[in-house]
Amino acid sequence: MSNITPLRRAPTAGMGVGVGAGIPKSPAATAGQKYHQHSTSILKTLQATEMLDTKPVLPAEIIATILDYLPVPDLLRFARTSRRYREMVYDDTRWVARLKSMGVWDEAEARKRFEEAVQRRRREHSISSPTTPTGAIGRGQPIPAGTTQPPPPQKRESLLFDAGIEQERRQQELQQIQMQKQQISHLRDGFETMKVGGGGGAAQEPPRDVEGLLLVVKNARSVRGHARQEYGKIYGALAPFYFDLVRAKTHTDPLVFKVFRDPDRQAQMLANLRIFGKSDWADGAKARQEKLENMTGIFESAVLREFEQGYEFWDVEGRMRKYAHVLEVLNEGSSAAVELFIQKHPIFSDREVLANAMDCVNQAMADSITLEPSRRFFEVLTRKVNEQAGIIGRIFPRPERVFWAFVDKVREEIIVEYTTPLFDETHERSIPSYLRAVSGIFEQTMLFLRTLTPPKGGEVDQEAKAKELALKIFEPHVDLYLQDEIDTFTAQAESEVGEWEKKLSEQEASAESFYMGSFANRQADKKDFLTSFKKVVMMPVTVLPTSLGLPLGSPFASSKPATAVAANGGLQTPGRSESPVPAATPSAGDRSSSPLPGKAPTDELAAKAALMTSRLEGIKSLFSIEVALSLVHGAKASLGRVAVFIQLGGQVGGEAREMCESIFVTLLRILGNGHVKPGFDKAVTHLSQYNPREVSEHDKGGVAPLVTFIELVNVGDLISQMIDVFYEQQLAQPKIADRNDFLDPAGMAKKKFEQMLDESVAAGLNKGIDVLMDEKAAPPKPTPTGAIDMDIGPSKTAQRIKDLVASHTSMLVGSTDKSMLDVFNGEVGLRLFTAICKHLKRQRVSTEGAIKLIADMNLYFEYIRTLKNKDLLAYFKALRELSQIYLIDAKHAKEMATVIADGDRFSGIFRAEEVYEYAERRADWYQVKREVERAMYGLECSVM
Amino acid sequence: MTTDTSNGTKIVLESNEGAKIQVDRIVAERSVLIKNLIDDLGEEAVLAEPIPIPNVNTQVLRKVIDWCTHHKNDAAQSADDDNDNRKKTTDIDEWDQKFMQVDQEMLFEIILAANYLDIKQLLDVGCKTVANMIKGKSPEEIRKTFNITNDFTPEEEEQIRRENEWAEDR
Repeated sequence: MSNITPLRRAPTAGMGVGVGAGIPKSPAATAGQKYHQHSTSILKTLQATEMLDTKPVLPAEIIATILDYLPVPDLLRFARTSRRYREMVYDDTRWVARLKSMGVWDEAEARKRFEEAVQRRRREHSISSPTTPTGAIGRGQPIPAGTTQPPPPQKRESLLFDAGIEQERRQQELQQIQMQKQQISHLRDGFETMKVGGGGGAAQEPPRDVEGLLLVVKNARSVRGHARQEYGKIYGALAPFYFDLVRAKTHTDPLVFKVFRDPDRQAQMLANLRIFGKSDWADGAKARQEKLENMTGIFESAVLREFEQGYEFWDVEGRMRKYAHVLEVLNEGSSAAVELFIQKHPIFSDREVLANAMDCVNQAMADSITLEPSRRFFEVLTRKVNEQAGIIGRIFPRPERVFWAFVDKVREEIIVEYTTPLFDETHERSIPSYLRAVSGIFEQTMLFLRTLTPPKGGEVDQEAKAKELALKIFEPHVDLYLQDEIDTFTAQAESEVGEWEKKLSEQEASAESFYMGSFANRQADKKDFLTSFKKVVMMPVTVLPTSLGLPLGSPFASSKPATAVAANGGLQTPGRSESPVPAATPSAGDRSSSPLPGKAPTDELAAKAALMTSRLEGIKSLFSIEVALSLVHGAKASLGRVAVFIQLGGQVGGEAREMCESIFVTLLRILGNGHVKPGFDKAVTHLSQYNPREVSEHDKGGVAPLVTFIELVNVGDLISQMIDVFYEQQLAQPKIADRNDFLDPAGMAKKKFEQMLDESVAAGLNKGIDVLMDEKAAPPKPTPTGAIDMDIGPSKTAQRIKDLVASHTSMLVGSTDKSMLDVFNGEVGLRLFTAICKHLKRQRVSTEGAIKLIADMNLYFEYIRTLKNKDLLAYFKALRELSQIYLIDAKHAKEMATVIADGDRFSGIFRAEEVYEYAERRADWYQVKREVERAMYGLECSVM
Repeated sequence: MTTDTSNGTKIVLESNEGAKIQVDRIVAERSVLIKNLIDDLGEEAVLAEPIPIPNVNTQVLRKVIDWCTHHKNDAAQSADDDNDNRKKTTDIDEWDQKFMQVDQEMLFEIILAANYLDIKQLLDVGCKTVANMIKGKSPEEIRKTFNITNDFTPEEEEQIRRENEWAEDR
């Protein structure tokens, strides 16, 4: 209430104190003259006038507030005092508030009714012209429905409803209520007399309309303008019981328990009374409600006792079911019976269910674990719990809620009791079996929770519930588990790499001269290896897109390893379905037996890898594909274990996902920085230390360190592809890592790894080219000066150089990707070109030798053309043109000059000055020099 | 706006009869009207001069101040407390019951003053007291107590009674 200045009104407009209200001039007072003969006595008026001065009068809002505190009967008596107060009391909002407090007023329904009524009235108006409303009575003041005066039939503009229909119905209802009321009071009277008379039986006869009493709250309607009547119905039905109960001294007294014998109905009635109590806010309401609560409590505990007795006799269909329903009716959210049921449930002391978790450890070999006993444990548990689900469905009115409460208890009492000691024990005994236990039990738990059959009819999402429960079980373990998982993986991977390196260094010591020494007798092996290797390497590239979608369980797997080499030839078809992709099998079947990595396809790759390594045995790789493979295997096992937790979602799911990614990142870090990179570094060092002039085995067809290095590149590339497939299958496919998220740590680590590999390869190749060129430049090219060698054709040296280069470049075909190959070839070509130029500048070329030179140049040109590199070709074309200047006879010095000056001829590769330099290398240069110069410069002068 | 509620500050209220009553600021601020006034005008202005309360006489004002003093440490009810909540507030406590044992005229004056000064809790107590006075009385008794003029015909009155018979005779 805002601070309204109370107006001093004329006394009759409000509650005045004292008789003085009747001022003669006040119009309201004159209205009152009819009944109270105040103003007839002038003396009284005078007295009143004297008293008038300061009589306070309460304004309407305050009176309205006062009315709020009145009990209902007093409120309605107050309505009888005057029209004004009747209006105030009858005000619909006052009654709507009470209905609302009981939760039976539905605003939407009221609006709908209202709108319908308005429409109906409009229709009727349009059909029959409305009669003139007479004596319109306000909305808050419906026509009294007493029997003495039949409701006026005419329609009223001011009424919101079709007054006729509504009124008639009201009247009927009212009569009904009155009848009920009489019955009740009659009953009570009868009861009282009975009590006095000490007679029995009389009160047993229930009123006819008991069902109506039970449903009175449910049947309440929301009608605007009739809230008072609706409330009246409820009040009429419940108030006698309510006040009777409040007055009752013992729990046997209340009328409720006498009228209704059936506990079900008693409960219904008590629930109704409780609702009704909410609309009682007069003075002392709190005490009344407390009393009601006490009574309800007594009743509830009595019912609960009955339920418990039924429980002891396992009287599922009888007492348990009955009293569970009674409790539900009494108190919707009641959990007393549920708690009792769960608390005393025999499953929690069932020997069959309570298995010994240590079986998992004891039945397995030392330091390992078998999950078979736990599987049996969960199987038994599933069966038992599902059995209970049926029983719960028969007992409880809302079984689903009870069932999940029950399952929660099972989780707390049985599963946690089972898992925690198991985890603790295994954690102490050996970490690997701990890791397997946690992940495996988790899998089994999820399966258990998913195979539960909750009673029908609920709307609880079983999957969500299962996750919630599983989370509760594993929450205390997950952090430790994840940490252990990655620690174990890191340690394992590092030790593996370390061991390999140790072995390598031991061997290195014993095989110092290995690279050079045993090189020769491996040629055949190496070639053979390269062909099969190339195929294996190529395969993931071609297979990858298809194999991703294909189920990879392969019947070929077992036969494959033996015939791996043979299969390489015909790999096109069978190889498709079973790519040698490592860890390419997170297929569904393999998931269920999770912690074991998928065997079949990886076996094949392992076989091939073993094959290759055996081939490589002599070659002595600087890093091992086997090591990489076992690392990937380890990562896959860890990842598979962790990945099952991702389905939990939420924070733990997110942590598990992060852990998956960090396992992958760790894998790349150890594999990349710990294994591959040092290998490359070592190879590069070997290359740079290589001095071709100290080695005289040119005819062997290859530069040893370079060959080794290129093989390294191949292996590195294979590893890179392995990682790629691993990423696709293990991280991208199950949506652990987002391929499109460039900030994703796994994706970033992968890119970094690839980049590192590329850089190492590039550095290696750079060094390799240097070595190659050194090799080529090393044997002094036989100078064709003067020597009369009429054999037309390229020189042997040129042939050999070409072969050397060609064999090395071709080694890379197929192993590295095309762009890298192009770059490599381009670089090789360019270096070759520079080397030739340099060489040419050191030589003297005779006209006869020129023929040889031209043949050589043609040879180079042809070779370069096979590389299909346009830019490179231009260089060698120019070189070919250049070689022709040596063929020009000394007599044609002028033409020579033209050739030299002809820039177009060399397509811009050589400038005229450069060509001139080359011309200087002619054996007979000093003879022709003058002529040429004259032709070049002098001629021009003469022309001028 | 100086809103610091230093306890020691004294404020002078002036009734419509000109009587000046000094009260603690915290006591005066039980009245939302006065509290807002102080907030709006600033402390200095209020401290300098007595606040006139033109609608309340000295006797009532003292009574109201008594109440405010006794309740000065109550948790202030928020301005727009839900109407339903207020209805459900507890019954009148003993002190308030005694406090309200005054003649009817005084009771009404207190209610009016509480309404004017905007002291919700006092207004509620007053209204409840009046409601208790009405309780259990017949319409005629109510009319007598509150001096209400009956403008119903006996038939009309009977009709209302019949209409609401469900509430009678509990």
